Amino acid sequence: MSNYYNMPKLPTENSPKVEIFVDDKPVMVPGDTNLLEALKAVGIETPHVCYHPYLPVSGNCRQCLVEQEGPRGRMLVIACYTPVSPGMKIYTPASSARVKNARKATQEFMLVNHPLDCPICDKAGECTLQENYMEAGQNESRMRPEYGKNYHGNPEHQFIDAKGQLRGGKHVDLGPRVLLDEERCVQCDRCVRFMRSIAGSEQLQLAGRADHTYITTFPGEKLDHEYDLCVTDVCPVGAMTAKYFRFQKRVWLLSHTPTVSMDDSLGANIWLDYADGHIYRVMPRCNPVVNRSWLSNTSRLAFQEFDKNRLPSMEVHTPAFGNGKIAIVAGGTCTLEDLAAIRMLKEKLGDRAEIFGGSLLKVDAPDGIAKSGDPVANRAGMKLLGFADVADFMKRASEFETLVTVNADLFGEDPAAAGVLEKINCRVAITPFDDATAKKATIAMGVRHWSEVQGTMVNSLNMLQKLNACPVCPDENLWAAYQVVSYMAGSKFEAAADAFKKAGEYAPVLAGLTYDAIKSTGKLLEGGEA
Amino acid sequence: MAECVKVCTANFGKGAQDIEVYKKLGGYANISERLFNMSQFELIDYVQRSNLRGRGGAGFPTGMKWSFVPRNSGKPVYIVVNADEGEGGTFKDHFLMMEDPHRLIEGLIIAAWALGSRAAYIYCRGEFLPCIESINKALNQAYAAGYLGENIMGTKFCFDIFVHRGAGAYICGEETALINSLEGQKGQPRLKPPFPAVSGAWKSPTCVNNVETIMALPWILQHDPSEYAKMGTPRAGGTKVFCISGDVKNPGVYEAPLGTPMMTMINEYAGGIVGGNLKAVLPGGSSCAPLNAGECAVATMDYECLASMKTMFGSGAMIVINDTHNMAELLNVLGNFYSHESCGQCTPCREGTGLLHRILNQIVEGKGHDGDVELMQSLSGGFGGVTICPLSISLGGPVSSYTAKFREDFDELIAKNPDHAKPRVQENYRPGIFW
Amino acid sequence: MREHIQGAVQFVSNNHLKFDGPSEAIAALPDPGQTFGYVNKPVPQPAPKEVLAKLDTPEIKERCADLLSRYPVGQGALLEVLWLVQGVFGWVPTEGIRWAANVCGCAPAHALGVATFYTMYNHAPKGKFLLQFCRNISCSIKGAQPLIKYVENKLGIKSGETTPDGMFTVLQVECLGSCGNGPMMLVNDDFATDVVDGQLKMKRGTTLTEASIDRIIDWCKAHANNVPKHDVLGGVVKGHCGHPGAPGATAKPQVADYAPPSPVLNVKAEADETGATLTWKGAPEFTKIVVEKKNGSSWVAVGEPGVKDKAFVDAAGKVGDVYRMIATSGERTAKPSNEAVTTQKPAPVEEAK
Repeated sequence: MSNYYNMPKLPTENSPKVEIFVDDKPVMVPGDTNLLEALKAVGIETPHVCYHPYLPVSGNCRQCLVEQEGPRGRMLVIACYTPVSPGMKIYTPASSARVKNARKATQEFMLVNHPLDCPICDKAGECTLQENYMEAGQNESRMRPEYGKNYHGNPEHQFIDAKGQLRGGKHVDLGPRVLLDEERCVQCDRCVRFMRSIAGSEQLQLAGRADHTYITTFPGEKLDHEYDLCVTDVCPVGAMTAKYFRFQKRVWLLSHTPTVSMDDSLGANIWLDYADGHIYRVMPRCNPVVNRSWLSNTSRLAFQEFDKNRLPSMEVHTPAFGNGKIAIVAGGTCTLEDLAAIRMLKEKLGDRAEIFGGSLLKVDAPDGIAKSGDPVANRAGMKLLGFADVADFMKRASEFETLVTVNADLFGEDPAAAGVLEKINCRVAITPFDDATAKKATIAMGVRHWSEVQGTMVNSLNMLQKLNACPVCPDENLWAAYQVVSYMAGSKFEAAADAFKKAGEYAPVLAGLTYDAIKSTGKLLEGGEA
Repeated sequence: MAECVKVCTANFGKGAQDIEVYKKLGGYANISERLFNMSQFELIDYVQRSNLRGRGGAGFPTGMKWSFVPRNSGKPVYIVVNADEGEGGTFKDHFLMMEDPHRLIEGLIIAAWALGSRAAYIYCRGEFLPCIESINKALNQAYAAGYLGENIMGTKFCFDIFVHRGAGAYICGEETALINSLEGQKGQPRLKPPFPAVSGAWKSPTCVNNVETIMALPWILQHDPSEYAKMGTPRAGGTKVFCISGDVKNPGVYEAPLGTPMMTMINEYAGGIVGGNLKAVLPGGSSCAPLNAGECAVATMDYECLASMKTMFGSGAMIVINDTHNMAELLNVLGNFYSHESCGQCTPCREGTGLLHRILNQIVEGKGHDGDVELMQSLSGGFGGVTICPLSISLGGPVSSYTAKFREDFDELIAKNPDHAKPRVQENYRPGIFW
Repeated sequence: MREHIQGAVQFVSNNHLKFDGPSEAIAALPDPGQTFGYVNKPVPQPAPKEVLAKLDTPEIKERCADLLSRYPVGQGALLEVLWLVQGVFGWVPTEGIRWAANVCGCAPAHALGVATFYTMYNHAPKGKFLLQFCRNISCSIKGAQPLIKYVENKLGIKSGETTPDGMFTVLQVECLGSCGNGPMMLVNDDFATDVVDGQLKMKRGTTLTEASIDRIIDWCKAHANNVPKHDVLGGVVKGHCGHPGAPGATAKPQVADYAPPSPVLNVKAEADETGATLTWKGAPEFTKIVVEKKNGSSWVAVGEPGVKDKAFVDAAGKVGDVYRMIATSGERTAKPSNEAVTTQKPAPVEEAK
């Protein structure tokens, strides 16, 4: 609530370094940020609940207390709201018993009215309260049942349980995608701040006051926003849970693959959380310049279709393309490696082949959060490798006798416009899905989905980003698209790195780079702007 | 009881709600050439020399507060009058606004001249509807008489006053919470800095002053500032409107110079203690530490003496308690109050005040155990300096001081529980199906 | 400790425990409240159309326009507009909150948060007479609790409840700011300790007693059909021009030079062997200061200290000289300062060794 226009300043690589004294030891920290981030930069973790680097500072959890030497002696201050100033003297629990006790006390207060249902809580394992407790707390409980608990909850949801305890709402249906457990809420108001300041639609609010505060939407209205699942990410406890993931998997059984969402040309950085050969959920992966910590529902929930309606693997032979002109159309989810392979195939076929890229879907405006609105994820990569726009191809479709589509569902995207393509005799579809184009194709070859391949893409900010393969491919024999196409061209790329090297031959800006050197947060290409 | 100069309460009972009566009593005399020939700097210097300190509780020097307001920032300067009087035992503003609303308006015009303010808001708590009616009536008269509005008295000066009715939140007495409430948000205190003097209401410089502070200005301007300064103590000038309530014969509002001995206030102004002997006095409203009878005998009512006795002067609200009361029960009343009025922002206050109240309830209901008092003391220690505003300490402080000074009252109640000495066995309370 | 957790997580996840997880999301369980029964019934809300019809009157439109003109941002008027809603219904229905949010241009959820934060907005209909009893410390000392019990017994209800005939609602509230008359109560919006001449009154020196409560309740019953009604915002103030820039306001911003420029204050002059030293207090907006010395009946400028200087030395100055200073703030020149007659500088006090 408080000062909600105070966005925290985060350190960057160019932050000036200043000297401060932490526990009387001189430390060089970034000088243009808050204390919490500065301490993090030198490896001192400060427990916090309400602070989030991409949300306005609210300073209400009081968990990140440190002591600062000031004109009136040592004072407790919250690290998340204290700017770094050169020469400041800071004391952490490592040297100050007062800080240790204050954090312990805050921890205790936070747990006073928090239910002890960790064993059945979906957030267990990645809950901030649990982490803080293990790191700073581990106190024996001094609470006694006679004192009672004052569970937070909407009066209209309150009930009295079998033990005579007044309880709050346990499964409050906030909206189509999010469920709320009012008792577990610790009133950090991250979700409120997210909806107000990031999503720009104040649908959530803390109602009531004191220890009767509860999160709610306006009565009769639902939490419904393209980014509403982000509230489950920012929720430090198990209060906000995503309906799609509830009770699907304990989080410590999940493995994580860092990759990039190919739904949109911003290329939101994501984690694919998988186990037992399935993706269970998709979480945003923090990238300060791309999507910060946000992810749209569309990109997040797309994984539910990844393993459905797939094409089987197929033995690939070196094809013989007839005599007429050949069009090779790359879809939006093609990685740079796929594009390099296509370009290689074109070079082999000579002048009668032309390459196009893009989709027939309409391009929206960027929403400023985690979507650029362009469904062609690798459009920048296509430009680099000399692909013409697919609209050009659609105009001249009648010139071609053979059409090869790679990850491009032209018939599915715009069935009316794609009608003209049916006149092309030979249509080869190389795609993961048994989609409309594959169904109408002369030959359809299954390949790996983008979540299952190594690769790279260039996003709308001209950043080169890396995709990693999540081991959830339904068929071990499936090849990646770049392997299929390069095999057609006569020399199969075994690894993405080989294909990337090839891409460097076509696009000088990529030439100096090696696949393995690309960082997980991507690399800004020359001539681009972050 | 020496007859003291009445600065704020001079017009009590004289019908000064009407502008004509108020003018006859010397009102609006300040809104004259003399004020309009003064520069901002001169006027602020004038107030600084009077040694006037804020009367809301914190006692910050008013002139200094005004001098912090940045000049020529390109943003409007707001004056906000804090009439959200909600601290237990404080009721001076209620009577000041009821009896003498024009003095508040006159004081505001002076403050506006000093700060270059175009608009002032009187944030009046929702329960004081009669006060709001009184002020609105006075505002209508002042507008009709040309004291407010545009080009006041033919000068270039323009000034408007609006009354903002609060809706029941004690915490709005905290200045940043009050500003939030004025902006149409929840009354939750803001993180500082920025302080309101630099960035307050609508991110503009804002000066929040108590009703009594503003109402002292007309008198100060009419007289020499040194005359006001010499009435009080060296560090705080002037008279103070004291509210005396509780077990005294004549509870009410009394104006007296700062530094008056506490027993003089009780015996001479308020007519002495009734119903028993003196047990304790809360010298500055419900959130301060109590003084026991021995301390009361030597205490004087001013900022320094009370601070040296580890309590506070606050808003000058004396609550007198006789020896028929059990301090634990009174602390329970405070627990109820502060847990109800916590804004729900900071964790320790939100959860902790409620917990303390629940423990106190156990003790008062005769279900207390040995160790409960120590637990409360330990919990209230967790409030110290960790929250945005001092509301948590307003309960934490009394918990520490009541239990330290009147421990026998707590023990007496705990002893009512026949099992009080038995330890509480946690195994008996294993979490149930929903715990 | 973190390593321990991570170790445990690694251990479990490396074992690749296989679970046959369901492929479909598990539907939410029914709320336990449905099993155990909800404590509070939802408040029946009037039909939205009905609410909007009652709020759509010329008077309310005029009041809203007046309120909005007072604040630079519409949201500032939210509390006041909610009061208007409460004035119409006696409580704030959900639809009324939404209406207030629309009037003030903020999100309905925000208005809900505000309306539930403040305790004076009623979220359910109340009786004709809302009796609010203070339970805070001063009133408790003077016996508020027995009185509240007395009223509860007399009316046959508990605090927070309404009598079946809809006449009275009893509430315990925090400090009412009338501790000198404690125990204290509010009857709707009036402070009352007794009935005097057929009017509710709070007279100095009187407090609430069982007998006066009886009289107040009898008075209420007698006025059941003509409940005295206050304007929720204490009446309308006429003549104000609003906040500069607010919609509907005619106000103009304050002119920058509404007050005369600041003169130099507290000029003092003291002479010693180095000459006359002037000290003064300066306003932050000074751009230039000129020091003048009296020469017969005219003034002669002797120098210009910097605006941030603390002292100025006139080497030719001696005891008995008269100085004054003139400040300039931007384009405007202030009136001269006080005339300072130079005095002998007191000898420095020798520090005790």
